Amino acid sequence: MLAELGIQGTEELFTDVPRKVRLGRLGVAAALEERDVVRAVDTILDRNKPYSKFASFLGGRIRTPYTPAALDAILLRSEFYTSYTPYQPEASQGMLQSLFEFQSLWVELSGMDAANASLYDGATAAAESLLLCHRVHPGHRFLIPASLPWEERSILENYAAGFDIRIESVPFDPRHGTLDLDALRASVAKGDVFGMLADVPNGFGLLDEGLPELKGILGTVPLLVSADPLALSVVEAPGNWGADIVVAEGQGFGIPPSFGGPLVGLFGCRRELLRYSPGRIVGATRDAEGRRAFTLTLQTREQHIRRSRATSNICTNQSLIALAFVVYASLVGPKGLAALQTSLSEKAHTLAAALGGIEGLASPRFDAAYLDSFALAVHPGTAVEFLDRLRRRRVLGGHPLADPRPGAATGEQLILTGVSESTDEKAIQKYAKAARAAASAGRSP
Amino acid sequence: MTFRQARYDEPPIWEIRPPAPDTPAPVLDAVPERLRRRSAVRWPELSELEVVRHYTRLSQMNFGIDTSAYPLGSCTMKYNPKVSEQLARRRSAAELHPYQPVETVQGALEVIWRLERLLSKVTGMPEISLQPAAGAHGEFTALRMVRAYFEERGELAQRTEVLLPDTAHGTNPASAMAAGFVTREIPSKDGCVDLAELKSAVTEKTACFMLTNPNTAGLFETQIPEIAETVHAAGGMLYYDGANLNAILGITNPGRMGFDVAHLNLHKTFATPHGGGGPGAGVLASVDRLAPYLPVPRVVKRGRKFHLDYDRPKSIGKIKTAYGNFGLDLRAYVFAISHGEAGLNAISRRAVLNANYLGKRLGKFLPRPFRTLVKHEFLLSGAPLKAQGVRTLDLAKRLLDEGYHAPTIYFPALVEEALMIEFPETESRRELDGFAEAFERAVHDTPENLHAAPTSLSVRRVDEVRAARELLLSWKDLRSPPPESRPTGNLQGAPPVRPGA
Repeated sequence: MLAELGIQGTEELFTDVPRKVRLGRLGVAAALEERDVVRAVDTILDRNKPYSKFASFLGGRIRTPYTPAALDAILLRSEFYTSYTPYQPEASQGMLQSLFEFQSLWVELSGMDAANASLYDGATAAAESLLLCHRVHPGHRFLIPASLPWEERSILENYAAGFDIRIESVPFDPRHGTLDLDALRASVAKGDVFGMLADVPNGFGLLDEGLPELKGILGTVPLLVSADPLALSVVEAPGNWGADIVVAEGQGFGIPPSFGGPLVGLFGCRRELLRYSPGRIVGATRDAEGRRAFTLTLQTREQHIRRSRATSNICTNQSLIALAFVVYASLVGPKGLAALQTSLSEKAHTLAAALGGIEGLASPRFDAAYLDSFALAVHPGTAVEFLDRLRRRRVLGGHPLADPRPGAATGEQLILTGVSESTDEKAIQKYAKAARAAASAGRSP
Repeated sequence: MTFRQARYDEPPIWEIRPPAPDTPAPVLDAVPERLRRRSAVRWPELSELEVVRHYTRLSQMNFGIDTSAYPLGSCTMKYNPKVSEQLARRRSAAELHPYQPVETVQGALEVIWRLERLLSKVTGMPEISLQPAAGAHGEFTALRMVRAYFEERGELAQRTEVLLPDTAHGTNPASAMAAGFVTREIPSKDGCVDLAELKSAVTEKTACFMLTNPNTAGLFETQIPEIAETVHAAGGMLYYDGANLNAILGITNPGRMGFDVAHLNLHKTFATPHGGGGPGAGVLASVDRLAPYLPVPRVVKRGRKFHLDYDRPKSIGKIKTAYGNFGLDLRAYVFAISHGEAGLNAISRRAVLNANYLGKRLGKFLPRPFRTLVKHEFLLSGAPLKAQGVRTLDLAKRLLDEGYHAPTIYFPALVEEALMIEFPETESRRELDGFAEAFERAVHDTPENLHAAPTSLSVRRVDEVRAARELLLSWKDLRSPPPESRPTGNLQGAPPVRPGA
């Protein structure tokens, strides 16, 4: 190849790089053979203690699901995982049809008119949707529940930072833990609201009976709902109680948490919002012989065509995890999803009761309905200290809800606790025993 | 080679065993009555075999790097090593919840810390964050940080503009808009930034100039020292779009070139799989003056222990749930230590050799718009074919029939009927020669055959205009088409833009 180019060495291909910016060497270690790479990486990874080695009650938006073997077998089809964004539809019908099925599933679960082919995660899907609300409705105020996890609020604030937007919390009822609707009415009446986010379950794991009233309070202001996909097997589709946009974190559908990524953001909306919506969308069409085919569509909203007037900057999304979502749902089936949610709910209620009588703990902290996660309050002592004592007894008892940034956390010491398929009676008793000891240690001086 | 893709006529999954509509949903007592789902989720109940067969068949109607070379310019479609897939699936990597106590995730934090140190050397920049999910997410995060920086200095009201060359990836202006800036395009001269135009555009309003180097024409911006000096003299920041990093590993780096903040795409240069469009992993690298604004938490090492540090008062906060796409970061780390110093240095030399070799061969068939010494990718113009009524789109579709994925087409926009071709270092001379021969056959084929392509894939030419007109976006739409959609014939229209960034 050098000879065809009439050069002696590859160095001659870099004569256009000015000498003053040239490097000597990178300064990284020498290459390793594959077996040594495996050994080195395993040595590091062995310093982890996977949750599966504990009695684990980590829950919330990121779950610890079982991954069916058949799901991983599909994800390892390298025609899927080594492919690029399906810009050439004729060469990519497999991924396009899978994504069309994924969109269809989210439409059925959410009750929306249309869905896209995924965003980065549930929180960024909510943040993109905040900007969508801002595009379609006048106003400067965006309302969120005060119970929203701090991370999600921070992400919303960053996406809103470039615009004249104020994000304001709607307080929760201190006993029920659900939205204070009188406070919401008063806030909306002040005007200038362009959108509201509600979540189901909320940041405390609760099902808010007031949700069907939100749209009536908001009127023409868009209602954005963040909904857990598994919960939607038994909870009414938000599209049937007034949602204009429904987003979700979809990782719980069989995708291992992998320390928080990759996740998958689901997005659906009403038809009239579609042209202002973010992300790639697959549509059904025909080929030149009239056969059914699929292709990316509505691309004139996207950055590669519309540039600075695009509805979002997103390019890479989470297609492979979207595929995992629809494969998981198809393996488990709608009856299996509802049965799973039912089983998790029963375990969570057993756990809450087992922790309920322990002095120094309020379990559950709030009295609204919940499914598989609920908030615990610890007093005295901090949530972090309490969880640390549990960990020493081989129990991962949940995660603290407070913002860990110095100076940010105030108020009650709350923990979000959740169950998974692997939770059994033995694990619940182990948690109760460890919690009794930990709460007691928290009370001693 | 004679290429044939599988053609199964595989129906959508709900047609395998259609579920009955309006089946009552199971009742869970824990759900308050007014929130209970009335109709069960409408989705089929299938056996494991039915699901596996369905998606296996679909997979066989899809190009991937493992089956076909994928010369998409600016996408860096290199081989994704299998060992990375194996290690990312270890229980000790996959079964980690991001909110586990730090004592239980020391290995994961070590992987992040080690990868950050390594990428600091690759970029020549001291501080790294792995939190962004993808390249565009990194761009947005960086501009959000630039915003916070100028806000703190009281200059935000004044610094409202983000400048970018007319060859910039579409994500650059879109990210600038999302971060609340106004964009201004700098015209190119001979495929590179016109320094005189840049000098006249840079003012006290300039917040940032976004540049990829080498640029999307595959050309190294030789005037980069002067560009950096110009932007910095006006008090602006210089942003490096790392989509094209595969051209310069060990040759130069954004730190040495004078950039202040950069993103890398681990799904390009560091070979994590693209997954049909994602997930990716976007790295953010920054110089010291912007580092305080990086997202929290930062991974720090104190003694022998790793911690998540949230005590960064100037930080913009969070940009994504948890800490980024750890599963991809781990794959990138595996790729990096597998290559080591010599291997990483060899990557760009080979990728650039591939581009120049193939550019020379293909330059015999179609014109090359700018200078011919290129970096990792090169441009051709399909304009001469227009006289026979053939468009670049037709050529792209014809290449699919040869068993090659099409190049990126119609990008950058300053080249008429552009084809942007990148064969990363993992592709052999045999593959390059095969592509050159396929390209020659395609260019010399009859207009009738080119218009009819592709013929050997699971479907023939797909009607994208009809898709945009009918907007059938889900099974629900197929059951009852939405009001605005109406039946249309096979409409002809201008070929769509297809950048691969």
